[in-house]
Amino acid sequence: MSGGAGTSGSSAAASLAAGASGSAASGGATSERGPGSGATSGAGVGGATGTSGARTGSGSVASGGAGASGSTGSGAGANRGTGTSGGAVSENGAFEPKIVAFVCNWCTYLGADLAGTARLEYPPNVRILRLPCTGRIDTNLVVKAFETGADAVLVSGCHPGDCHYTAGNYHARRRWMLFRHLLEVVGFDMRRIQFTWISAAEGRKFQQVITDITEQTRALGPYRPYDGAAQPAGLPDAGAVADGREPASTPAAAAETALRETAARLLSAGTVKVVIGYGANGPVFVTSAADVSRLVWNGRSRANLTTYLKRPEVRALGRPAIVVKGCDERALVVLEKESQVDRKDVHVIGMACAGMGQPKCAACDTLQPRFADETIPAGAGPEETRGADRYAAVESLLRMPPDERLAFWTAEFDRCLKCYACRQVCPLCYCERCLADKNRPQAIDTSPHRKGNFAWHLSRAIHLAGRCVGCDECTRVCPAGIDLRLLNLALAQTAETEFGYRAGMDRAAEPPVGAYSLQDKEEFIR
Amino acid sequence: MTREQLRQLVAEWLAAGKAVIGPVRVKPGTVLYTRLASADALLLGGWVRPANSIKEAVFPRHEVLYSYRVEGNGIELVDPAEEAREQIVIGAHPCDAAAWPILDKLFDWDYRDEQYHRRRAATTVVTMACTEHDEHCFCTSVGLGPEAERGSDAMLVEGGGEFQVRTLTEKGGALFAGCASAGGTACATTATTVAALFDPQRVAGFAREHFDDPFWRQHALACLGCGACAYTCPVCHCFDIVDEGNARGGVRARNWDACQFPMFTLHASGHNPRHAQGDRQRQRIYHKFYLYPEKFGEILCTGCGNCARNCPAGLGVLPLVSEIRDAEPVQA
Repeated sequence: MSGGAGTSGSSAAASLAAGASGSAASGGATSERGPGSGATSGAGVGGATGTSGARTGSGSVASGGAGASGSTGSGAGANRGTGTSGGAVSENGAFEPKIVAFVCNWCTYLGADLAGTARLEYPPNVRILRLPCTGRIDTNLVVKAFETGADAVLVSGCHPGDCHYTAGNYHARRRWMLFRHLLEVVGFDMRRIQFTWISAAEGRKFQQVITDITEQTRALGPYRPYDGAAQPAGLPDAGAVADGREPASTPAAAAETALRETAARLLSAGTVKVVIGYGANGPVFVTSAADVSRLVWNGRSRANLTTYLKRPEVRALGRPAIVVKGCDERALVVLEKESQVDRKDVHVIGMACAGMGQPKCAACDTLQPRFADETIPAGAGPEETRGADRYAAVESLLRMPPDERLAFWTAEFDRCLKCYACRQVCPLCYCERCLADKNRPQAIDTSPHRKGNFAWHLSRAIHLAGRCVGCDECTRVCPAGIDLRLLNLALAQTAETEFGYRAGMDRAAEPPVGAYSLQDKEEFIR
Repeated sequence: MTREQLRQLVAEWLAAGKAVIGPVRVKPGTVLYTRLASADALLLGGWVRPANSIKEAVFPRHEVLYSYRVEGNGIELVDPAEEAREQIVIGAHPCDAAAWPILDKLFDWDYRDEQYHRRRAATTVVTMACTEHDEHCFCTSVGLGPEAERGSDAMLVEGGGEFQVRTLTEKGGALFAGCASAGGTACATTATTVAALFDPQRVAGFAREHFDDPFWRQHALACLGCGACAYTCPVCHCFDIVDEGNARGGVRARNWDACQFPMFTLHASGHNPRHAQGDRQRQRIYHKFYLYPEKFGEILCTGCGNCARNCPAGLGVLPLVSEIRDAEPVQA
């Protein structure tokens, strides 16, 4: 064991988790065996501090060696600094799983406290991190916990109806449905993540849950991040589904002429100061009616230009008109819903589209813009709907065994250069400072290594949960060809099947994240 | 030698335990320079332009500089292992290979980067003279060409379904020792012809005299501020130093960084000297055509066109420099 490490670990824990006095949470349980080991074993698993905690002598019930100083876990913990090694080992050589429990302050933490004061015995493998509410638990904390050496994670809060902030646990439940589906698609071993409701009166349930998770994780063995994932068994055909149709079979030339005329009219009337549209080689920003010939409309008009509405340099040009396809327009709906765009300040020119030959086009049902200020060609026919199942790519991925899925994503993410083209091109990634750019503390490793890449892509995806409109720009621009659309699709699938919501389709619909329903599923919650 | 003989040779290198890097179709639609798992994975013939460059072989995107361990009151620093594994890059374009002599100057300037030079010494580059090019290529504008030999240890010239081997250095010679045509130079060249599109001197001149020109911001409006151009550029070499770990141990690492990110020049005070995206685009052109030549005597660009090929918004060196070329007579 290393005393120094223990000290720093516990101080981190004190500031982060176990600040309360008399936190007999897990200490109580071990005190029968090792009175001196009381205190709390809440180890700061780096959720906020970046330090992986070593517990301070929290007894040794499982390893059998009782005693005041029996800190079997901390020696092993010290070796796990970078989170690459898996599995603490007890004095007798057996694997001792490290369980990180993110619990809410009002119910589960008090349930743990009750277990302690009632002298209920449970394994000392759990490290408790107390947060105000399950609704406040960022999924990145879970990723961090695994990065820094957790073998399993428990998230636990108040029963439905018991939340001390009225509805935090309902929000958590919904967010966890999305996050769990994301992890499933990535191929994560879902047995290592547990969600429970434990009230302040359920000391016994806490005891039982911790005992069960410890035993189950012990049987699973150490968590080895992305191990055995070096060789993908073979890339699935998911995502490679091409439209099969030649792009833009509509009379593009006529539409292009109409577009230029519209732009000239708007600019010369002073209705708008700039027209954001497609040029021969990329987006163009036309500010004069004399320049409208720079605007084009053809089978390469793929970009989602709504992303430029967030850029300060473009905003500085004055009131814009923007050229959108039916799919791009969905981003505008979300931006409006999130108060990023005031539709009064944007003139929307919708282009009826026949598909751009991208995978998304096969299942497109927004070929016709629906909310545009004007549509070209004017009064285009009724909306055509492509028949393909839009979630087919996710389904085919889910048919692979989890370890093959993980191997697939490992190979994909290993190519990531962290150029952030995916983020920059996304119309809905508009944070002034991205979580990935925050370094006090470093929320996500900036390094483009496996750990940093997984953390980044999981974070990117979950931040778009229930928001992504499926324009697939992230996938189009990735220089490494990473199939990011599959992650977005997975979350869109959950949003649609569980909450009946498709981002950007209905201006009045309530987004799934930030709302909840008492009927939300919770079969994954114990 | 024929394609099959070349593939056989690559298989022998792999069997001898050497790391071989070459163009690989990692998935439909994506070709990258990657470590070859087998000789069959190597893409040969036709227009093969990987999205990335070969710089990663000597300047990895993530590199541990040293690690540290805290034991009690002591701190132990551990250097990374010194030996660099012998590696061979095959199927590189001349514009990829030419990047390395340019980078050598930077990594041996005020500080000699031993890790870089160890890898450089352990790496042999076999280029393939270009028989085709696309609309993004402009190597001849920066003094190179489809069969430029700079930086290559050996060059393969395809003609009549066979490769002719030009060995250019001892390292290159050692690889192809025993091959029938080794050392030969006369060959009916099948190399493509790329027209020179601009004069880099004039770009430097424009840059020098138009620092505050509104040109930069106007022409960077479409720039989204990602690092796709820099990260796929054979010569972009900016990096960031990060510490990863905790109170007991960890690493200090070097990661690629890019001048197009706002974070690249953001001061701790919150001030950013390159406030707008146009300022960052200007920096990229400045560095390549004005600042680097001033310091090291050569252009920091090999005309590969990767920036434009990978740009989500159709920008890149050639599009921007073409604007300068077209705009300059008016401005001057």
